[in-house]
Amino acid sequence: MSVRRFSGPGRVYYILLALLALAPDATALAQVTLTVDHAMVRGPEGAPVTIVEFSDYQ
Amino acid sequence: MTEYEGKVRMVFKDLPLPIHQLARPAHEAARCAGAQGRYWDYHARLFAEQPRFDREDLVRYAVDLGLDRDRFVTCLDGRHFAAAVQADVEQARALGITSTPTFLINGRVLVGAHPVENFRIVIGDARRRLQGP
Repeated sequence: MSVRRFSGPGRVYYILLALLALAPDATALAQVTLTVDHAMVRGPEGAPVTIVEFSDYQ
Repeated sequence: MTEYEGKVRMVFKDLPLPIHQLARPAHEAARCAGAQGRYWDYHARLFAEQPRFDREDLVRYAVDLGLDRDRFVTCLDGRHFAAAVQADVEQARALGITSTPTFLINGRVLVGAHPVENFRIVIGDARRRLQGP
């Protein structure tokens, strides 16, 4: 996973290229660009582990 | 999470499920709170109050946190973050994620609310992979 940082007007976007194993044997990989609002991030920028949580409030 | 202080970065992505009609405004409201610097406090309040997500509830939670009410209401009613929430939904779809919560730990998938020990295993594995054989 690589992380790039962009500065925008009043906001910073982090783009993560997430490699997701679609099959249990990891033969198929999807590469999707994720946009991230800096307000929705906790933890240091240089952390070795990034956990992305997709969730809802109900 | 304190055992991983400085070692783990957490990113929250919105995935309101269609079966929960009040979920989407709640996700947009949290981002409106984020625009005033209180995303995580509002996020915690939503989890504590679910499923009480009517508009007046969402505004009250913001006021309780001391947010600027007018600014929050303008953001919420104007749906300033509708496109941002929708972008998260579409990215989840592109990744094949259909249920919540789903975690990507350095790209590795963990679906569902797992006991903390499972997170320790996957985080430990991710760190070992970074360090190499």
